[in-house]
Amino acid sequence: MPQQKNIHYPLGYWQNITLSIWLIALVILPFADIEIISFDPFIELSRMLNGLMTPDFLATEYLFQAIIQTINFAILGVFLGLVLGAPLALIYQHPIVSSCCAFLRAIHEIFWALLFLQIFGLSPITGILAITIPFAATFARVFHDIIIQSSESPLESIDSRADIISRFTYGKIAQVMPQMMAYTRYRFECALRSSAVLGFIGMPTLGFYMETAFRQGNYSEGSALLIIFIALIGTIRYWCPAKLLAVYLVIACVTLVDIPSVDSSLLIRFISQDILPPALTNITTLAEVRWSSLSSWFTTILWYQAIPGIIATITLALVALAATHFVTLNVHALASKHLWPAPLTWLGQLTLLIGRSVPEYILAFIFLMLLGPSMLPAIIALAIHNGCVIAYLAVKQSNTIAPQQMQMSKFNQFNYHIMPDIYPNMIALIFYRFEIIVRETAVFGILGIMTLGFYIDSNFSEIRYSNALVLIMFTALLNVAIDILSRRLLKLPQNSQTSC
Amino acid sequence: MITIDNLNLHYDKTAGYNTDKKETSTQVIFDLSLTINEGEKVAIIGPSGAGKSSLLHHIYKKLQASAALCSQRQGLVDNLSIYHNIFMGALARHHWLFNLVNLIRPFEQELTNVAALCQQLELEQPLIKKVDKLSGGQRQRVTLARALYQQKSLFIGDEPFSALDPLMASRLLEIILKRHKTVIMVMHDRELAMSAFDRVIALDKGHLVIDSQQQSIDQQKITALYQTSAVA
Repeated sequence: MPQQKNIHYPLGYWQNITLSIWLIALVILPFADIEIISFDPFIELSRMLNGLMTPDFLATEYLFQAIIQTINFAILGVFLGLVLGAPLALIYQHPIVSSCCAFLRAIHEIFWALLFLQIFGLSPITGILAITIPFAATFARVFHDIIIQSSESPLESIDSRADIISRFTYGKIAQVMPQMMAYTRYRFECALRSSAVLGFIGMPTLGFYMETAFRQGNYSEGSALLIIFIALIGTIRYWCPAKLLAVYLVIACVTLVDIPSVDSSLLIRFISQDILPPALTNITTLAEVRWSSLSSWFTTILWYQAIPGIIATITLALVALAATHFVTLNVHALASKHLWPAPLTWLGQLTLLIGRSVPEYILAFIFLMLLGPSMLPAIIALAIHNGCVIAYLAVKQSNTIAPQQMQMSKFNQFNYHIMPDIYPNMIALIFYRFEIIVRETAVFGILGIMTLGFYIDSNFSEIRYSNALVLIMFTALLNVAIDILSRRLLKLPQNSQTSC
Repeated sequence: MITIDNLNLHYDKTAGYNTDKKETSTQVIFDLSLTINEGEKVAIIGPSGAGKSSLLHHIYKKLQASAALCSQRQGLVDNLSIYHNIFMGALARHHWLFNLVNLIRPFEQELTNVAALCQQLELEQPLIKKVDKLSGGQRQRVTLARALYQQKSLFIGDEPFSALDPLMASRLLEIILKRHKTVIMVMHDRELAMSAFDRVIALDKGHLVIDSQQQSIDQQKITALYQTSAVA
């Protein structure tokens, strides 16, 4: 028998993609700042674990109000987001509408809140608008995607002389209603997370008390707040069934803390002076503009803040992408019913719930306490949160797969049947999350990690609103560019429903 | 009512519908000429792939304003109830506000009409049931009911009984023929086509091969048509 040598068996498409993710991460890892600075993380860790074991639910003074406000912002934000976003979905194909939405969506809730904070102060309007605007833009896009992906055949069979409203409601809206409801439910969960995170910049939600507790080292109080928050998200479907939504909306309006009257002079001042570059303030005609000072102002921001910020943001995001891949694979295996008996998968599901419920911002905050300020806490936080979100969706998919009618061990079954089936979708989800990872990465700046958000936050605290605004623009443009680029590069199945 | 002169149709495989573009498509109808008069009951038969559906959809496009289509692509909205799917046939008769309110709270009169129609079509299911819970035959009857509820004078059907048993098919066909002045229908059951229609048209590989009145149908020719095609 002739000896067969070197049968050519090249790497598959998905193997290549996976390798690229890791190769990129490894190449840029030396440039990422991942030093552990904390002097003794174990003392802090043991105190935290101790706090987790002894949660103190009564330590927070305004706990009930905090929960109510967290829910209120989320409900009103999602409701207004729907009111604005759903009609936009109908005209989303217009390039102006879609690019405006992409821009609004690219700015994180926290940055919106920082902006509105200057105008409305700590009023509920700030919190609600900060959620409403990006959510409306997201609803517009996702609903539009859902509608164009739906079947055309009901429309064909409707009498063409019927008016457009009747044809559209019966032939399209009725058809996609369950998908839109499911997506809205999912976004409500996201809104609760965002609402809590707004507490970190001073809004009276759970995040505010969480931050205070953790910063002061009151870990018993902090862990109690975390547990409450996770329970709140894990039980949404019990306390907020679709039927009660209208009731909750009314309650939210009634229990909203008083809205202080808006000082219109503040608003005018903000628009006409504060957000203008120093070279443009107090001028009346175009001739007075000092162009040289304007351009030097802009280049300074560009070179010393925007570009370093963008580089740090992308570095962090790419490393976090690989780490997310790692977490996804492991956590999915942990919760798969194809590997473990039922009681163990419940434990895995609980891990997934905790991982995806805690906002990455809060996770990063906790790891920052442990490991000191570097990119490492942010990478870990992003990997845990996003990995758990993707694994949650992947488990949902893999649990519907019927096992092979063949004698093989569970482990072989998992590797030869389940993983090959779900892997393409899993990778697609990871890439969709990349846009979200970049968006979140910018926010970690507020925790002191030198991404774009760091420069934005410092400019806000130094009352240089014009600089902050320019950097927010850069952040938005970066997100839009990545969105376009990833759509061009990867011809993945169009499915934007998992973006959050 | 309709006269077709030297019709050539192309089917775009990638797009999945009839098209005039020649590059990516295959021709399905060749130089077909045909006249159908008002009041006629015409059956179109032929082996599969003969171009029956393409011809039928072409006719529907020309006569859209006065015709009710019962297509093989049922176009039912899975998320809506039997009642709402059938009511969709009447959308053009009402103001959009009426239609919207009816979507939330069905009107008594419409409910009665739809219930009567369902009874006639032997569809004994609660009207509130969602159509995705129905069997293939039941879905086909909902599609049929929706076409009937359009209350047009011309009925255009593409194998509307393919999932039903022959006895029920002939009972339902009788209802359709009685309720419409003109009927043009692709039939998979050629016995029923020959016995119930005034005129039978047969297609083979995109060509019109038989066009005869009921009295003068050449049984042998039709049988031969199916046999040769089956061999090929």
